[in-house]
Amino acid sequence: MEAEIPRLFESASRLPGELFVRLPTFFSKKRGNRRTGLPAWGSLGEGIYHTVLLMAGLTIGVLMLAGVAVPEWRINNQFIEVNGRLIGKGLARHTLRDVFGGAKYSWRPALLVQYEVEGEDVESWNTVHSSETSETRAFALHELDDWELGGQLRCWYDPDDIKTVVLKQGYSWWLWLLALLLPGALVAFGVTGLLQSLQSWGRSEERQAVQFGRIFETFTSPPPETVGFPTIPACDNLVNSPGTMLRFRLPTESPEAWSLIGAGLFSGLWNVVVILLAVNVGFDIAGGRANLWLLGLLAPFTIVGLASVALFFRQLFLITAIGPTHVEISGHPLRPGNQYQVLLSQAGSVSFRKLELFLELEEQATFRQGTDVRTERQVVWQSLIRRWNNVEPLPGTPFEAEVQLQLPSKAMHSFSTTHNTVSWRLVLRGVPERWPALVRVFPVVVFPAEIVSTHNEKPLS
Amino acid sequence: MTESKRVDQNTLGSYRIQPNPRISVTFNRENIQYGGGDELRTHYIVEGIESQSISAVERSVVWYTEGKGEEDLGVVFFERIQLERRKDSTQTSSASLSTDHLTGALATDLPQSPLSYEGIIVKIRWCVRVRVFFRSGRDFVSEHIFFLGSVPVVRLPAKIET
Repeated sequence: MEAEIPRLFESASRLPGELFVRLPTFFSKKRGNRRTGLPAWGSLGEGIYHTVLLMAGLTIGVLMLAGVAVPEWRINNQFIEVNGRLIGKGLARHTLRDVFGGAKYSWRPALLVQYEVEGEDVESWNTVHSSETSETRAFALHELDDWELGGQLRCWYDPDDIKTVVLKQGYSWWLWLLALLLPGALVAFGVTGLLQSLQSWGRSEERQAVQFGRIFETFTSPPPETVGFPTIPACDNLVNSPGTMLRFRLPTESPEAWSLIGAGLFSGLWNVVVILLAVNVGFDIAGGRANLWLLGLLAPFTIVGLASVALFFRQLFLITAIGPTHVEISGHPLRPGNQYQVLLSQAGSVSFRKLELFLELEEQATFRQGTDVRTERQVVWQSLIRRWNNVEPLPGTPFEAEVQLQLPSKAMHSFSTTHNTVSWRLVLRGVPERWPALVRVFPVVVFPAEIVSTHNEKPLS
Repeated sequence: MTESKRVDQNTLGSYRIQPNPRISVTFNRENIQYGGGDELRTHYIVEGIESQSISAVERSVVWYTEGKGEEDLGVVFFERIQLERRKDSTQTSSASLSTDHLTGALATDLPQSPLSYEGIIVKIRWCVRVRVFFRSGRDFVSEHIFFLGSVPVVRLPAKIET
């Protein structure tokens, strides 16, 4: 067990109680005495911006519903089904001219249907959605072959305009998705922004924090461990697993597991794309057409797909070959200045040139950079608890060692808020023979030291 | 001058750009060092401002984070005092600026956490805030730092080799 090294936690160079003195900087957060702008005008500007977004969302939503969703809904719910007869067929060409004067054509089968409405014969060309057109004439012709002149067919006509007839029903889910997604996002963004503007209208940040806090308290009750210790994360998940030798077994937060999950997800998704591409190319070849672009794409995609599978299995092999690590501790949550027993158990048959167990303090800050949300982590304090050299496991027996952990007497407690975290953890770092380095992390929660009265001064008032 | 005209001019006067007030806060500990569960008692004075130009005063005890991350804020004490407009007051010129004092006191029990912390990318500060709202819509805020706990400043490099 290493003794506490006090030099790492240096005392503050400034006198206790001395105010922080800073040089003026242009882009830092403003602190101290200051006159603010006109918050009401700021809220008004934000309110106008979000109202514009809300109105845009509603307008686009109404247009898309009227143009896409409502006609499709009417076909499925209001059109009347009748038996008809195919009396004519042909190809309809749709020409789309671009701004440079070029033309793009699309084709679709056009079918003349005869059907009876209230004793009267009606003849009409069928109506199709633009998504049912084909960019190749040959494909549209091929589709046209499926329709037999004089054949009976089911059709649906519009009771409000009996000349409008369709030959199939159903919904295009992606059209509905488009119709709802874009305006839905705008409406959601606008409404949330408007609510925020209303909430901040004429209110200071302290007042908002108090009112928000009260709202949240009515919906959630904090876990028992955090009662009386605001901002200290709950440690329910760290004390629900009893150890075999010591009181608690700590769960692991292994970065290897996350990289394995990441590699697996990437490999799975990439290879799905490769399979779809290969199936498409296969159909093309079977149909006597070979798309050289697709064939050219397939080769590098397949190489990347195979490499990702190999990487995934390599990671899986590394994790399973090295074996699991267990850490048990005699008490939890931890308190500054206290001593704890820690049991380290490393299973597997791999020999290690070096195994090191550390106690670390890590800070984590989440911030916005442009439109990105970034998280930065920094280990700000590290203490080596024990190092073992040339660890040779015995067959069928894990490597086990019990060590003492001394927490610094003036250690910071664990702290977790929306954007900032200060967390303690036990970290095992190993250098196996012939394998890449191993890092396994076991989070712990540190509470403030037991209350010692600091009331040793004479009150001023 | 009739009563109504006096009120109108006084209203206009309250919308003038006011000089920044001076806000001083006195703590019940000389070294402004507190522990979790201790009682914080402070007394504040707002000076150098016409009291009739103030619409409200908010006083609060808060902690906030500084550093690389977005700011997180916690409020352990908050009180807003809405000031009534004194309609019977007479107009005062800038030459005869009122030296009225706005004073107040607050007391609250401090929580066990979070303790004041001076890390590398995360810092936690405690302060008493006095926020003065002017009738013009602007406000002036004054922060007075104190310390909860005695966690030492973290300094890099921090790697230990034994």
